[in-house]
Amino acid sequence: MAGERRGLLVSKGWIQAVILVVLIGFFVLGLLAYRTYQAKPPIPERVVDPAGELLYSGRDVERGQEVFLNNGLMEYGSVFGHGAYLGPDYTADYLRRSANYVSRSYGGARSDRAAQRTTEDFRTNRYAERTGVLELTAPQAEAHRRLVGHYSRFFSEPTTKNGLRPDAITDRDDLRALTAFFGWTAWAGAAERPGHNYSYTNNWPPEPRVANEPTANVIVWSVLSLIALLGGIGLLFAAFGRWNFLGWHGREQATLSFRTPGDVALTPAQRACAWFFFVMAALFVVQVVVGAASQHYRAELSSFFGINLAELLPFNLMRTWHVQLAIFWVATSFVAAGIFLAPMIARREPRGQGKLAFLLLGALAVVVFGTLIGSFLGVHGLLGDAASNWFGLQGFEYLDLARIWQVLLSIGLFVWVFMLWRVLRTRLRGEHAANMPWLFFLAALAIPAFYAIGLIAQTGQHFTVNEFWRFWVVHLWVEDFLELFTTVMVAYMFVLLGVVRERVALTVIFLDIILYSLGGVIGTMHHLYFSGEPAEHMALGAFFSAAEVIPLTFLTVEAWSFLQLGAAQESKSRTPFPHRWAVLFLVAVGFWNFLGAGIFGFLINLPVVSYYEIGTALTANHGHAAMMGVYGMLAIGLAMFCLRYLIPAERWPERWARISFWSTNLGLAWMCFATLLPLGIAQLYKSVNDGYWEARDLRFLTEDTNALLEWLRLPGDIVFIVGGALPVLYIGYLGIRHTVKRVTLEEPEDILFTEVSEPAGLPKPDVEEAAAARVT
Amino acid sequence: MTPEVMLAGGYASALMLGALALEWLSAHTHRRSIRYRTAGFAYHADHDAWTCPEGEYLWPHELDHERRLMRYRARAHVCNACPVKERCTDSDHGREVVRLLDPWPHSEAGRFHRVIAVMLVALAGLVLLVAIVRNHAPLELAVLGTLLGVTTVVGRFLLRDLRNHPAGFPEPTRSRGSRSWSSRS
Ligand code: HEM
Ligand SMILES: [Fe+2]
Repeated sequence: MAGERRGLLVSKGWIQAVILVVLIGFFVLGLLAYRTYQAKPPIPERVVDPAGELLYSGRDVERGQEVFLNNGLMEYGSVFGHGAYLGPDYTADYLRRSANYVSRSYGGARSDRAAQRTTEDFRTNRYAERTGVLELTAPQAEAHRRLVGHYSRFFSEPTTKNGLRPDAITDRDDLRALTAFFGWTAWAGAAERPGHNYSYTNNWPPEPRVANEPTANVIVWSVLSLIALLGGIGLLFAAFGRWNFLGWHGREQATLSFRTPGDVALTPAQRACAWFFFVMAALFVVQVVVGAASQHYRAELSSFFGINLAELLPFNLMRTWHVQLAIFWVATSFVAAGIFLAPMIARREPRGQGKLAFLLLGALAVVVFGTLIGSFLGVHGLLGDAASNWFGLQGFEYLDLARIWQVLLSIGLFVWVFMLWRVLRTRLRGEHAANMPWLFFLAALAIPAFYAIGLIAQTGQHFTVNEFWRFWVVHLWVEDFLELFTTVMVAYMFVLLGVVRERVALTVIFLDIILYSLGGVIGTMHHLYFSGEPAEHMALGAFFSAAEVIPLTFLTVEAWSFLQLGAAQESKSRTPFPHRWAVLFLVAVGFWNFLGAGIFGFLINLPVVSYYEIGTALTANHGHAAMMGVYGMLAIGLAMFCLRYLIPAERWPERWARISFWSTNLGLAWMCFATLLPLGIAQLYKSVNDGYWEARDLRFLTEDTNALLEWLRLPGDIVFIVGGALPVLYIGYLGIRHTVKRVTLEEPEDILFTEVSEPAGLPKPDVEEAAAARVT
Repeated sequence: MTPEVMLAGGYASALMLGALALEWLSAHTHRRSIRYRTAGFAYHADHDAWTCPEGEYLWPHELDHERRLMRYRARAHVCNACPVKERCTDSDHGREVVRLLDPWPHSEAGRFHRVIAVMLVALAGLVLLVAIVRNHAPLELAVLGTLLGVTTVVGRFLLRDLRNHPAGFPEPTRSRGSRSWSSRS
């Protein structure tokens, strides 16, 4: 192959379009990064009362943020709507409590004059940029002093009745700083941006006491993004109404016969993948059990089925484990699937790859256990400040892990890409840089590249800036680069199976990159409507993220099922198609992409909806349906695909694969429809009607009807855990117990199938192969 | 009527509508995706034949009972001389197009959607039952009872539909490795 490079299989226009779309997207994102630094809400050097006495300093705000993050409080409550949902949103909570106090001191809620003066106090921006001093009014200052007392009592509560560990935070300075941090976010939430009639957070949180209402921008861009969605769908159907546009017309396949699992010899690194999948399954089980535990705190706060587990495992510890393990087990599966597919693509594997794979798995284990232990130490306050940041808990939701593990994980993922490169090297040399092997490699490279961006967020740095970079990881990972890697992998699986032509797969991938990047890159800003960014972030975020729904619906209804077609048994293969459940998990991925990401995502995507619902069960509804539905199902599907070859055919537990498929999907659907969706709608209603603070209040969530809704999910959770997660663990166990014994470093050209010219004449398995497959 | 009853009734109705939408979608996706494989080819029901993008007819050629599909084939010499043959087929016996009677995996994907639909209706029923247990005013009971009746009807319809659409996976599902392979060849 060396010497003559294989040319590009599709038209050059595709590459140009991709480059254009991605460049424009990241150029705009770059501008928005600049604007973030420029227009973030200022942190005053000194916040004083009218007499000039210091209430808190900028350093206090910073320190308070560190206390908030390093103690895992973002996994308990939220700030600017981002974080966990058991505790209050502290921006809204501080604002509500201080506004109530101010209003009382002016004569009470019933007096118009009091209401007006309260509003004035909060909306007037008394920050002097020149001096760096923010002066609060006398009632505001007094409210702050009282709130220091309130939050001090709350966080030093000696019991677990709040869901935190007893005596969570007792240091007086820390408590003062924490209140200062909350106070600053609340100030940014109500004080008007210079030159505008809305606050730094586009008037979030909704709070009638300080006249916080949706801004004109919130409404206008909601409408415009709706139009963008409808227009985009219209355009798409106009353009694609005729499929020949894509240059594919259905092509007949040569008759082929799938190689029976067990006859496919595996490389050492592929065999190592069995361990990856076992670890993946174990992490999955722990993740859902921990999730069930954290859910239980909502339904029954003070005791865990009678035992007071909260002393050892408080809510926020369960929550951070739950969130981080979700990322870990999915990533484990992706990493393993990449390692597994690479030698099939390259048809060879260099020596030592197997050892490298085990080394990588070891490193991953260190990161996972380091993270879990670190979170424990962090939440229990067992580490000093600096140490907590590096070895305990950084505490950004989804990027909670300590810095050392974050760095190690980034390096580990780069090592993974390097491993793929080792295998693919010669193959890449012979290919045009936009053909499938390269796309596979580049899509893999994007994963660590964008994970590493998360390192820009630092506990001591401005919150708005941190949020900006954090969502580069959270959003760009799931809504762009993982979707892309997914498509490449799935397409490759079918190409390797011989049921989809490379050219067609390539077209689907390019189309996918363009459609996802069009909306997804700038769409990152849909997480940052209210976190202190200027209005243009909201405008662009709303408009472009609406376009994200298009590929989700489109790929589901159209192209995705096109790929699935590959599995149809129309060719006259005599061997059964080995991947029934892998394919069905992919079907599920399509379904959840449509429902969980597309519908439930769009449900909360309009700024005006997000304004009232952010941080409620409606977000959780989308988060679960999209994250588990798309990436969870995909991780299991990839595992099923690879495990099918890792487990000798006669050991393959078809029944358990089936049970796990139905249980994970029904369990997830039940969870969303029985609890999260209706509860989210109830909260949205409450939020618009009575106020955001009320909607987040635990008293509302645990009142009669809503408590019932929380209990309603129980059967689904049980089905999910027992019928869904445990069988995956069992299948993973079979993978390490009975790993196929045939080892090779060279793979034949058509690894997973053989072409048969005459349907009648099946290739005879050679005796040696058959014998080898039986050695187990 | 208490808000709870209205909410329960409304949500149960919404779930049922969602279930019916899913039912429709599962049939719809199937129809659309079939089009990919035969994109560019037109089916003429009156002749039971296809025409290819170049205008050549494909006639029925074989009914495959085992795989539940109908095969149509164009004349070999026409295809072999066709300028765009490379993009169409690598068979030298003429391009073949199949009409699938109940193809997997769409059959099972459709089944997946239908099972979810049935689950939604079951959930609607459960929501209504819980509401009935907790609310006893005559009007409330009447509304909830009626809806529960509707739920039963919809549920039975969906169940019957589910039963009429088997997974259709080409057995044998339990491959037994090279042993069964050699025994069948
Ligand atoms: C597979 C794809 C997706 C995954 C895995 C995913 C995952 C998530 C998760 C976990 C959250 C919770 C964030 C938090 O709690 O702070 C979230 C929030 C959100 N997602 Fe998605 N999402 C996906 C696609 C989409 C799409 C396509 C849209 C819109 C069209 C969307 C819109 C939103 C919005 C508006 C929020 C709330 C904003 C926020 O609180 O940060 N998502 N998503
Ligand atoms: Fe997003």
